Amino acid sequence: MIRTKINQLIYCLTISILLFATCRKEENITTDYSKILLNLANDVILVTYAELDTKTQDLVTALTNLETHPSETNLELARQAWRDARVPWEQSEGFLFGPVDQQGIDPAIDSWPVNQPDLDAVLASPEVLSKAYIDGLDGTLKGFHTIEYLIFGVGGSKSFNSFTSREFEYLRACAQSLEGATQQLYYAWKPDQHNFLANVINAGKTGYTSVYPSQKATLEEIVNGLVVIADEVANGKINDPLSQQNVNLEESRFSSNSKQDFADNIRSIQNAYTGVYKGSTGLGISNVISSSNSLADKKVKQDIEDAIIAIESIPGSFTSAIFNAKSSVENAQQKVRNLQQTLEEQILPIISNL
Amino acid sequence: MRLNVVLFALVCAFFGCKNEVTVLEEVEDLKLGGETSITGTFIKIFEQPAPNLSSTELDFHRDADKAFGDIFVTAPNFINGGLGPVFNQNSCESCHLSNGRSPFPIDANDLRGLLIRISVPGAEPTGEPLGIPNFGGQLQTKALFGKKAEAKLEWQHYSATLQYVDGDQITLTKPNFSLVNPYLPLPDHYLMSPRIAPPVIGLGLIEAISESDILTLADPDDSDADGISGKANWVWDHHTNGRSLGRFGWKAGQPSLLQQTAGAYNQDMGITNPRVPIENCFGQSQMDNIMDDPEIDENTLKAATFYTQSLAIPQRRNTTDPQVRKGKKLFYDLNCTACHQPNFVTGTHAEYSFLSNQKIFPYSDLLLHDMGDGLADNRSEFDANGNEWRTPPLWGLGLTKIVGGPNANYLHDGRAKTLEEAIMWHGGESETSKENFRKLSKTDRLALVKFLESL
Repeated sequence: MIRTKINQLIYCLTISILLFATCRKEENITTDYSKILLNLANDVILVTYAELDTKTQDLVTALTNLETHPSETNLELARQAWRDARVPWEQSEGFLFGPVDQQGIDPAIDSWPVNQPDLDAVLASPEVLSKAYIDGLDGTLKGFHTIEYLIFGVGGSKSFNSFTSREFEYLRACAQSLEGATQQLYYAWKPDQHNFLANVINAGKTGYTSVYPSQKATLEEIVNGLVVIADEVANGKINDPLSQQNVNLEESRFSSNSKQDFADNIRSIQNAYTGVYKGSTGLGISNVISSSNSLADKKVKQDIEDAIIAIESIPGSFTSAIFNAKSSVENAQQKVRNLQQTLEEQILPIISNL
Repeated sequence: MRLNVVLFALVCAFFGCKNEVTVLEEVEDLKLGGETSITGTFIKIFEQPAPNLSSTELDFHRDADKAFGDIFVTAPNFINGGLGPVFNQNSCESCHLSNGRSPFPIDANDLRGLLIRISVPGAEPTGEPLGIPNFGGQLQTKALFGKKAEAKLEWQHYSATLQYVDGDQITLTKPNFSLVNPYLPLPDHYLMSPRIAPPVIGLGLIEAISESDILTLADPDDSDADGISGKANWVWDHHTNGRSLGRFGWKAGQPSLLQQTAGAYNQDMGITNPRVPIENCFGQSQMDNIMDDPEIDENTLKAATFYTQSLAIPQRRNTTDPQVRKGKKLFYDLNCTACHQPNFVTGTHAEYSFLSNQKIFPYSDLLLHDMGDGLADNRSEFDANGNEWRTPPLWGLGLTKIVGGPNANYLHDGRAKTLEEAIMWHGGESETSKENFRKLSKTDRLALVKFLESL
């Protein structure tokens, strides 16, 4: 009987120690990720949107110049301005959360495909092609891809003297409308404007409001966004034209800018992961990961590098490569899939378990 | 005896560390969607696939995601032609923003996920509301270039201030809609029912609930005299060419997700498909003469349908917060559960085992209830009369504004800016529960809202 009681006591003590340990674990103080979120919000996301807005302003200038002084040189300058503006947009696609879709801005910037039949009809109509008029049109009649279609033409070889005056008018108004959308997006985040940025930097801080209940939730948002864009590049943007051998499924076909788009999407992941963007201090998701799993941290950085190199190594245009250099395209696709897998299977679980 | 005391003390210490929550209370409805549940509190949380998909199903889900995001344009086009001629939006995502509740529009030219069902009094032989001649049963507020939107929408907000028993006040606002600039004259008398696009999570689970489990909860004539009816909506099923139990939509007007999706492609985007192969403006003056129907194939239709079947349900948050627990108790005490019936166990899903045998907590009986004159649309839909609405599932409710932003509101027309307003709009069968909420102290009202926010 006494022996039984002693056993019971030992049992109770063991349970109590275990329970105590469980309690203690729950009371762990979470690490402070403020500096990382501050850097990502201010020096990656906001700066990318600022850059996008500056570049679309340049595009307005270039297209206005083209309208005023049509020439091959001014056409090429306009095309380059379009390519330059495309860079920060593609580099923002790793963090497509918040105002960009809650305010319906994404469709005004990047709807695809272009509504060619309606575009032709609008050009042939007597409608006054003002910014306000373009603002009121559906996304498939404005934004990057409509401008791309008009300045490059279907084969990418449109000559400056084949533009109609209506096309010049449309392009100017369309660029102004695009700039309006990018400014709306920038201002939606800008601290002295609508300050969505505060949600990211104030997450989990006592006395502040944020849509995110914790820093962990904010980090989950960001890392999920990285997985989504890796998936979209590998399994959408590359896969659709490649697997169906159909150039019509290629997004930036008119400008032959697809490889650049894909690489910039991966750089979007790189910027958010490393926190390094245009000379920022460099605190990013990497700093969360490296302390708990330095191998995973190294792997994802290497996967990013490999994916960018593989995309840029595709010979010629993506349009021709899906037929003539399939193995090279497949290699790039695989490298992006590797990155997606690492993010999904190694990085995301660490964030989810913070 | 002493050891028993020690043991009891240890157990108390254990639960004390867990904020005095019993294991049952804490874990019971944590996973609102059973094994399709995930954790997380971020904007894109409704876009996550269910974690219990097989790898093949996950691949299908990701392809399906693309179908859900595809943007349609005017035909003929090298890709995605077929939009319109009249339509509401050009992609599924345009209404179902991040798969959540559509924000209330701030601009009459961009209605987001707000649409208006229209009809004249009476019903088709199938029981469907009688469409307005030359307009049909849904108002398409956009058109391709050269065509006219069927009409444009205008609205004014009306407000009234109500008082809680403790003296606090709450202002309720309601948008009153009117149709302007119709492409043809509208009849003198017609009915309108505004609808905000609801979240698309958990739909596969609802489809997997056995019909008998829903019908068991029905009490159409209130035979138990508790003031709560619960009525099935027997709606037209195009697959069986007969009546089936309605499960989806604000008035439970659709019996299956495939039919719901096919109808949405057709009515919302003007995309004909194998299930609804005739344009929404067939027989009207703006009908196109392009022989391209169906404009999407069966695979695309099934992909978009599967996407809505295979999304994850976010699990509850802050369940051990004493305020949340108090609110949960109040939710039961106020008899909110009479309609917001907590749980079901799904049956065996014919196609997808990940939906089968899941204990789920939609907090809905999926039946129709008279919600009073304040919420009435005064427009019948099959067996649902003008005062009746389907109890909407509450899972994901607390994430509404995180996912959709500050303008993502509540109730069928997005009139309620806060959950408190939504509660105070309840009437009809829920009048007593609402009235008892009105009598609560501010602390208790807040606790109940905190519980709803934990869903």
